[in-house]
Amino acid sequence: MKRKEFLSRLIGEMTDFLLEGDPLRLVVSLHQEEDGAHLSFFDDQERTEQEIEKIRTALNPKRNRPELAAYYGTMAGRDLNLGSRLKLIGWQIKQATVTNNNPGIHIDLWLGSDSFIVPKK
Amino acid sequence: MHKRERTLYLLMLVILCSLTLAGVILEGPEDLLGKLLLLQTRGARLISDFTVHGVGLALLNVASVGFLGLVLVYFAAINLSGPTLATIMTMMGFSFFGNTLYNSTPVIIGVFLASKLAKVSFGSYSIIALFGTAIAPIVTYLSFEIGLTPMIGIPLGIVSGIGIGFILPAIAGTLLSLHQGYSLYNMGFACGFVGLFIASILNALGLLQPLAVLWSESSSLALTLVVPVMSLFFIITAFTLERPGEMLSGFLGVQGQIGRLPSDYYESESPSGTLLNIAVLGLIYWLYVLGVGAPINGPVLGGLLTIMGFGGFGKTVKNTIPIVLGVFLTTLLLGNSPASPSPILAALFSTTLAPLAGQFGFFIGILAGAIHVIVVDVTASWHGGLDLYNNGFAGGLTASLIISVIHWLSANRTREDFT
Repeated sequence: MKRKEFLSRLIGEMTDFLLEGDPLRLVVSLHQEEDGAHLSFFDDQERTEQEIEKIRTALNPKRNRPELAAYYGTMAGRDLNLGSRLKLIGWQIKQATVTNNNPGIHIDLWLGSDSFIVPKK
Repeated sequence: MHKRERTLYLLMLVILCSLTLAGVILEGPEDLLGKLLLLQTRGARLISDFTVHGVGLALLNVASVGFLGLVLVYFAAINLSGPTLATIMTMMGFSFFGNTLYNSTPVIIGVFLASKLAKVSFGSYSIIALFGTAIAPIVTYLSFEIGLTPMIGIPLGIVSGIGIGFILPAIAGTLLSLHQGYSLYNMGFACGFVGLFIASILNALGLLQPLAVLWSESSSLALTLVVPVMSLFFIITAFTLERPGEMLSGFLGVQGQIGRLPSDYYESESPSGTLLNIAVLGLIYWLYVLGVGAPINGPVLGGLLTIMGFGGFGKTVKNTIPIVLGVFLTTLLLGNSPASPSPILAALFSTTLAPLAGQFGFFIGILAGAIHVIVVDVTASWHGGLDLYNNGFAGGLTASLIISVIHWLSANRTREDFT
């Protein structure tokens, strides 16, 4: 798949998901290079720690599911339930970090080579 | 490999070996291979009940295609879980009336070649490859049914199967967005779409023969016992995975699921609860078939095995009942018998629309079933019976219609406009 389509699908799905919370502010940031990309999403919607954990788990599925990601990946961007829709994203990216900014969430999606991976603290 | 995946492999091996053994016992050891080879040349378009050629032979065919599916899942290095179990069980079900090793393999090879062109692993396209065998009757049809010599017919059939398999990944994804995952047999929709064009070409060349129905009315103890015995295997396996309390709460958790694609209950819910859901679905609809007085023949078993297979990937007792009720009531309203071929198959396979009932409730489920049973009656002739998942084709159309209207209604909320 072309990089542009892939990124636009990921951005579409994530913003669709965040807009459902009806935030007053939503920021999307993209940094891409030849070998990877880093997407950041910020909003100002208040969420509980349990909700944050649910999002974190869904975006970082334990196992890769290439058979589902390749076929059903086009379903991303649709109003699936939270677990399914975020897992579809999780299967297609390298890693996701989710932080509670209280109020608001900060989601980082990392794609591509190892240089595009969350820096260890 | 995780323990629960190993258990599932073991369960499938037990089922496939049992079917093989039953097939050998019923058919007798004499010239078994010859009979099985002859079955590969039999017409496979809808509706070709293979049990007419011998119950044991049909069981052997089911086992052989099931082994093909299981081996491919293993070597494609993907999880044996809800979706892959659904593909294998569906292939097995349709091997009672259409799929054979001969006609399924070229389609799978075609999808494999497409994965090479797209530079992705075969595992990524494995679900498309396995469900894509819905269009396999074209291979048998061109090879043996249009009067060509085997020297020409066999290569033509194989090459056509490979060619069709090659374009399936492109079509499958596009059609999925039409109904947005509300029809579980999306590959049936895709293969029906392709089948429309193939049937039109065959028709233009004067090569499309009229549809015929080969439907066994006789009952056989072996066929009658297939579903209860398989359900028993699933229940026993469920008990080995988790404690009864966990199994029951898992089963109830599964009933609360909408079922929209892709919903892998085996991974996202409890494994034992999922296996219990599979067994209960099989038993409920087996009783439905007996209740309406339909024969347990090849196509009916195909429907039952497909329901069971999707018990881990979209279907629950709760979301299937409204759809089947819609089919049943409409059949009665139209003055037809629920036990005749088209209505009984529509009742079983209409459960492709289960996510509609899961998401929008009981009455939308009944409406979906009612529309489906009317549409499915004509769609087989559109693709010349070449798409084995004809209900998937009709289900895709029905789901697309209902979803379009529902989304249009829900999108017209003026209070949310910026004006």
